Amino acid sequence: MSTIEPKTATRLQLPRISARRRTTDRVMRALLAAATMIALVPLVLVIYYLLKEGLGSMTSAGFFTQDPTGSFFGQIGGIRSALLGSLEIVAIAAAIAIPIGIGLAVFLVEYGGKGSKPMRVFANTVRYFVDVMTGVPSIIFGLFIYITLVISHIGGNFAGWKGSVALSLLMLPIVARSTELVLQTVPDTLREAALALGAPRWRVTSRVVLPAALPGIVTGSLLATARALGETAPLLFTVAVANALTFNPSQQMNSMPVQIYNDILSPRSIVNSQAWGLGLTLVLIVLILNLVARGISRKSRSAGS
Amino acid sequence: MAEAMERDTRHQYREELHRLEEQTMGGLELVVSQLDRAIEAIAYQDVELAAMVVADDDRIDGRYLEVHQGVLSMLALQAPVASDLRVVAALLHIIRCVERMGDQCVNMATLVPLTGHEAPKDKDILDLLEQMSNATRQQVREAREAFRTRHVSMAQDLVRQDALVNQLNRKIFQRAVDVGDEPELREWAMFMILVARCLERIGDNTVEIAEQTVFVVTGLFREFSGTPEAPS
Amino acid sequence: MSNAAKTDEQEATQVSTKSAETTTKPGTRQADPAPASAGHSVSVNDLHAYYGSTEAVKGIGIEFAANQVTAIIGPSGCGKSTMLRCINRMHEEIQGARATGQVTLDGLDLYAPEVDLTAVRRLVGMVFQKPTPFPTMSIAQNVAAGLKFTGAKNVDVKQRVEQSLQAVGLWDEVKDRLNSPGIGLSGGQQQRLCIARTIAVEPEVILLDEPCSALDPAATLKIEELIAELKAQFTIIIVTHNMQQASRASDTTVFMLDGLVVEHAPTKQLFTNPKDNRTERYVTGQFG
Repeated sequence: MSTIEPKTATRLQLPRISARRRTTDRVMRALLAAATMIALVPLVLVIYYLLKEGLGSMTSAGFFTQDPTGSFFGQIGGIRSALLGSLEIVAIAAAIAIPIGIGLAVFLVEYGGKGSKPMRVFANTVRYFVDVMTGVPSIIFGLFIYITLVISHIGGNFAGWKGSVALSLLMLPIVARSTELVLQTVPDTLREAALALGAPRWRVTSRVVLPAALPGIVTGSLLATARALGETAPLLFTVAVANALTFNPSQQMNSMPVQIYNDILSPRSIVNSQAWGLGLTLVLIVLILNLVARGISRKSRSAGS
Repeated sequence: MAEAMERDTRHQYREELHRLEEQTMGGLELVVSQLDRAIEAIAYQDVELAAMVVADDDRIDGRYLEVHQGVLSMLALQAPVASDLRVVAALLHIIRCVERMGDQCVNMATLVPLTGHEAPKDKDILDLLEQMSNATRQQVREAREAFRTRHVSMAQDLVRQDALVNQLNRKIFQRAVDVGDEPELREWAMFMILVARCLERIGDNTVEIAEQTVFVVTGLFREFSGTPEAPS
Repeated sequence: MSNAAKTDEQEATQVSTKSAETTTKPGTRQADPAPASAGHSVSVNDLHAYYGSTEAVKGIGIEFAANQVTAIIGPSGCGKSTMLRCINRMHEEIQGARATGQVTLDGLDLYAPEVDLTAVRRLVGMVFQKPTPFPTMSIAQNVAAGLKFTGAKNVDVKQRVEQSLQAVGLWDEVKDRLNSPGIGLSGGQQQRLCIARTIAVEPEVILLDEPCSALDPAATLKIEELIAELKAQFTIIIVTHNMQQASRASDTTVFMLDGLVVEHAPTKQLFTNPKDNRTERYVTGQFG
């Protein structure tokens, strides 16, 4: 029962853009460009200063091959122990945080929403706390580990692994949240198809969901790692300071953020330059990690389309 | 849920189906007018009227082609099912009957010039023919009404009417045999036998239309075979 | 003597129920290239299905004949997909959903408390509306996925993969690229891949939930032909909102309305002379 009247023939006209709209368009564009410029300024300045102050130090001989001497006179050494120490501490932290974070996310997504009422309430509570943890300042984690592990003299005083634990507390909610988001983007139809073939739920998760989400999980983990590399506060309370190179995590170890902190406070300007060089190194490492993460996610996106 | 069922969807499709049915029923009306004119032409030896009947058969043929094309379009474009499908199939069958009935009228009309230009001879035969043509016209009208209103018992009654028509046919034949001794009447009477035969065929076609009516309503196709003996 | 016989009979029922559970190892059931197995009928009795407090299926009883294609048609929301998912117990995977009643396969109660859920799903396979090849697996891995999930042993996986792909008519198209990703195929090919994946575990029944909705007409016709071939080996139940597909591809049709069965008849009869007026009105497009 169509009540649409047939259209009477009229001559078609394409109206031109009014001058007012054109002006508004131009003004808006200008404002947006200005905002972009303003946002870029600090970024550019940071990079500029890093390069200006740090490039010289970073390319100096022995920067990567010597440990800092920490002496007030004479050779200042290099940053080797800081670099390697950071890598080891963060590697241990990642080894703790990433599996637990993934497991937590799997629980929340695959099992938490589907069980009985108490299970769902529990899962929602866990999710809430994980969300809260992403916002906790990193110094709190440092203090927590300081109080529970350092003062209590469990396994010695300051130690590398205690710093790892503190950093893993920091990384855990990031890994968990990003993994949870990625797992949620895996379409339910995939899970259904696997279930309908007779797969038990754990196989659905391990053989279908996790492999499909893998690129996203890797990206999230890399970003959490990059974040952990730059955290100073937790390490100050848990690992303290050391100059010598050591691979033993139960001892005090050097780390990049702490080394920067110490070097900047030094009265010797050449030591200050080393801090800049270390800062530049740190930024470069984080940059590389970010690029790798983005490369992975781009590759997975193009493969999946 | 009841409201949803009342909502009439496929409006255009329903209209088209209805139009197709109207066209077919219109064909039956054409047959009636052809029948009337053919009988009049025979009764009054009207050669011009007979020629008109022959010429107007083109309209029936045209109607046949229209309905045939309409059925094909409906099947191809709308994919009717269930009772709609039965109606479409029935319409195709019915329009063929219409065409055949039209051809019988033409056959009757072509006999007129052949019967010569003298006045018809035998009153009894003429009376019987008039009765028979009335009965046949009534059959065509009722077949149309029965199909249009989907009236099963009216359709089944056509069998009884056809029995009467067949009886009249036999009477005409008998009477023609009786007057066969008279040479002036003999040839004319033989032609009248042929006319009666045409009318009887028209009657048979209306029975087929009745069968289609029952088919559309019940979904079962049963031949109305073996016309029962009409009460004398 | 009679007591002993009764115990034996009870044991036989136990064993046959167990065999339904332990047929997660399909290789042990069929060692030789088997002839088409004797048909397996599905029976639904007084089925009620709920989403929370909403009742979607309000008491349905249907016998699905063995080795036949039964189509289920009806307007949106009539409960046909819900009913289908009750047959392979996928309905209960939805949060808050439950079903009561009985579903039996050859007399075996699929809802019995001791029955292994994954075994039910191996026996009753399902193909969904949207083709879902597993994105991280190759074509061959996809077809073998069901076997891997159910831990099938003593199965020649390669041979089973080839058999399944042959059965769905994909073998010639993909035999040179079995290791390329499953998602690289066209829509129609992907759906046939999913069907191959389903039949690779050798179910008895195949459920299809609007399998051609996402496909173009040519792919749709190919799948319908495939269904006609597959019924020699499986009992097939297909839910479709496309009535012409139901009329083309099925032997029997069930018309559902508002959670109940209105008519269940041979397809030819339902589409030329339906008994119930509501069926007549639905198939001629007067509502729905």
